[in-house]
Amino acid sequence: MDNNNTPVGATQHPSEGQAPKKKKSFNSYKRASVKQFSSVLSILIMLPVFVVMIVFFTCFPRSEVSQIEKRTLAKFPEFTIENYFNGSFTNGINQWFTDTAPFRDDLKNNGNGLKAFFGITTQDSVNVVGDIKKVPKKTTKKTDETSKASQVSEQASQASTQTSGTEASKPESSAQESSQTVPQKNYRELDAEYTVENGVIVVNQDGHYRGLEMFGGGSGNAYVDSLNSLRSNLDSKINIYSMIVPLASEYYTPANFDSYTANQKEYIDELSSRLDSGIKTVDAATVLGKHTEENIYCRTDHHWMPLGAYYAAQEFAKVAGVDFKELSTFKPETIEGFVGTMYAFSGGDVNIKNDPEDFTYYIPDNYEKCKTDFYDTDFTYDYTGSYFKQVGDPQSNAYLTFFGGDEQIVKLRTDVKNGRKLILIKDSYGNALPGYLTNSFEEIYIVDMRYFKLNLVDFIKQMGITDVLFGMVTYSAFGNNSYELPDLLTQAQGETIVDNYDSEA
Amino acid sequence: MVFADLFFLYAFLPLCLLFYFACKKLKTKNTVLIIFSLVFYAWGEPLYVLLLLFSAAFNWFIGGLIGKYQGQTKAKTALAAGVIVDVLLLVVFKYTGFLVENLNGLLHIGIPVPNISLPIGISFFTFQAISYIIDCYWETVTPQKSFKKFLLYLSLFPQLIAGPIVRYSVVEKEIEKRRSTAVDISEGAMRFIVGLAKKVIIANNLYAIVTQFYGDVNKNQYADISSLSFLGTWFVVICYSLYVYFDFSGYSDMAIGLGRMFGFHFNENFNYPFICKTISEFWQRWHISLSSFFRDYLFYVPIFGKTRKYLNLFLVWFCTGLWHGAAWNFIFWGLYFGLFLLLEIKIGKKRMKKWPLVLTHIYSKLVIVIGFGIFCFSDMTQLGNFFLNISGIGMFVNGTGFADPITWSAFVKNIFLVIFAIAVSTPILQQIKKFFFEWGNNVVYITGKMAGVVGCMLLLIACSIMLVDSTNNPFLYFRF
Repeated sequence: MDNNNTPVGATQHPSEGQAPKKKKSFNSYKRASVKQFSSVLSILIMLPVFVVMIVFFTCFPRSEVSQIEKRTLAKFPEFTIENYFNGSFTNGINQWFTDTAPFRDDLKNNGNGLKAFFGITTQDSVNVVGDIKKVPKKTTKKTDETSKASQVSEQASQASTQTSGTEASKPESSAQESSQTVPQKNYRELDAEYTVENGVIVVNQDGHYRGLEMFGGGSGNAYVDSLNSLRSNLDSKINIYSMIVPLASEYYTPANFDSYTANQKEYIDELSSRLDSGIKTVDAATVLGKHTEENIYCRTDHHWMPLGAYYAAQEFAKVAGVDFKELSTFKPETIEGFVGTMYAFSGGDVNIKNDPEDFTYYIPDNYEKCKTDFYDTDFTYDYTGSYFKQVGDPQSNAYLTFFGGDEQIVKLRTDVKNGRKLILIKDSYGNALPGYLTNSFEEIYIVDMRYFKLNLVDFIKQMGITDVLFGMVTYSAFGNNSYELPDLLTQAQGETIVDNYDSEA
Repeated sequence: MVFADLFFLYAFLPLCLLFYFACKKLKTKNTVLIIFSLVFYAWGEPLYVLLLLFSAAFNWFIGGLIGKYQGQTKAKTALAAGVIVDVLLLVVFKYTGFLVENLNGLLHIGIPVPNISLPIGISFFTFQAISYIIDCYWETVTPQKSFKKFLLYLSLFPQLIAGPIVRYSVVEKEIEKRRSTAVDISEGAMRFIVGLAKKVIIANNLYAIVTQFYGDVNKNQYADISSLSFLGTWFVVICYSLYVYFDFSGYSDMAIGLGRMFGFHFNENFNYPFICKTISEFWQRWHISLSSFFRDYLFYVPIFGKTRKYLNLFLVWFCTGLWHGAAWNFIFWGLYFGLFLLLEIKIGKKRMKKWPLVLTHIYSKLVIVIGFGIFCFSDMTQLGNFFLNISGIGMFVNGTGFADPITWSAFVKNIFLVIFAIAVSTPILQQIKKFFFEWGNNVVYITGKMAGVVGCMLLLIACSIMLVDSTNNPFLYFRF
């Protein structure tokens, strides 16, 4: 408390603490009229600008969809008595007004551009966005397999004790959903989940910017238990494969950030060592590690590139003992100027925005002879379409090229006659795989672990599946998505599954 | 509704200004202001607007009683009743949950903790009401006869929800008679835009740094900072201190600017607090309307008798802390400052003046910045981690390290922002402006003014662009 001797109750201190009072300089009296004049002039300048701004924000057509955020924007709130009194009506008006500002995406890009002035971006600088924590160091109990594989980082993979894993995986699930679960007309679902809270770092390598998601680990228990349980429920003639793909951060994280991302290869190997011996492991991490100078991961998106999926599919075919065609037999198609989810994930890093990439996917030589049937998540036939889809706004949705999203069951029928039927249980990473396997299997069922509504055991048995592949990224195997797996084995048990496409035909 | 919001800027405010300046008579102007103020409050609190109306009616009535029975015991009784009811309202709506929780913890009982949402701005308008009735009792102001005019004072939307705590004596005359001159309008508008820029450009982006490391602290969502490095903890707490200053002083600027446009002249609430040399000077420059409130209405009131000055000091700083929020860390924060003020009284003003300037600045800045750490963490575990990290002990206990690449990245990415924020938190721009205006002739003056106007317009555009990006933009002091 200050020590001045203001009398009790005196309220006469308007001058106290005020900004320094203007001294009456010798020309202050002359200034009075000048001040008056310049104030009028000021108002004459400010008023038109203000009016223009008002007209812009209130009269221009309102935005409806944000491509950057991949969602439909807020609607004007509905008035009900309840909404009014709990404040959501008035609050909704403010939200709506801001959310649907004219030219929203352009203004956002400009705003992100302004933020570039806040600091320095050099060629080797790293932009870190969001909540990145050190992966806790544990005392390592390296099994034989893990010690073989781990040279890069000293991070331990004592999976069951990792705490940050579930946290780290949350944003991933929302990330995947927001980018491709839902076709454009159904953007609504993504609204609340689309927040940038994941740990993302943006690095500059070989003259290009790359957004990287950090991996916080996780126990993988749900994954291990589900696969082992499935193994014991199926005839041993049915093959089960586990292929867990690391995130790009496994290969592209600068060394000084090693302690912020767990060594995914170690995690995958440790998890594999806990799988039943009747489950075959496909080591995608090692294979991908041999091609890191190629375009195996998107720089501007959280997915891998179709080329990365090719190498992984090749390794899978080797393990499964099926035919596999060389890449040269495929017809490449390229979407230029792709800027994916990493722009939004990185909190609008303009470097990502200004450094688009080419998204090249590969069409198999027997594509014309294949049929792609689309079903609802409860296996109700919907329509027969194409595996490679033309998507709206490919420059930001390129990865949706693979049959357009996740919330469906896709059946791919090929011209191969070898009696092998594959089911792929996958997250969005898995979407890029089946296109390479059209010469390897007769039929491929593609189901998403998050949306499949039937009983997996029943489905495999009744559809006459011979090969079961779990193909997904580490986030899904160790994080929240993996908690969907146990349900697949227990839900909707004992139902007769009817492929109503066949019945129609 | 908050000021840093597109709907406020381009819908509410233009309508309010249009109606206000379309009206000729002061009486109708006042009506316009009251209606817009009530709509403004009801926008955020559709139900608690009744509480605001009750508070206005009640305190107006008490003020009337005090005026009527001036000098008699009845006036004293009315005052006591008024203060008790006002404080009770504050306690019920702000501290019930906190009290019940602590009672449960203390007595190991299980009273269900009621979920009372805090009415926006109750801390501010209740304090204004208390100051009014006490001033009536002390006869420093004449009780307002017209309820409408008193309602205008209490509900006036520029200062309604986040201060400054404007005393009745400050606006007493302007409620009766005021006009908005061209100087008022242009300077008020520019002041508002400067405040907006402080909030939207500086504070919000500093807060993004804070969120990255400490979590969304305004929503009590704390990150685990046990692994944050020594330098990292320091960098972020400095950013947080700057953030609180720019957030809150930006709001005060906007309030003062808006008030000015309507012809009101509120007192300054901040006077470059970070240039202080001692903690007592800090509190003469920081949130002036609050510290002077406690000084005048609590410290100089001899509750414990005139001799027990230190007990009163303790009470004042306990209350100052508690006013900022219903959590223990705020109380610690208040008492922490009380402790340093006591220390400064004991050392003596004269002796402190002899200290080298560098030393006083280091001392005061350390106390302030660490104080904001206490202010930041209501989660005691994280507050503990904060102390471990900032003292450097964490390096040995938790192995947090001296520096880390994430902090470095955040530092480099925001280096100009932080440097600019530190520079603007000192009067350096004001000094430059003053120098030119005193040195130059009228042409220099007008050119400078116009440059300022153009700058403000650019700031307004930049703020609007940045606001598009934030569908959620809460003010820190908004819920206090």
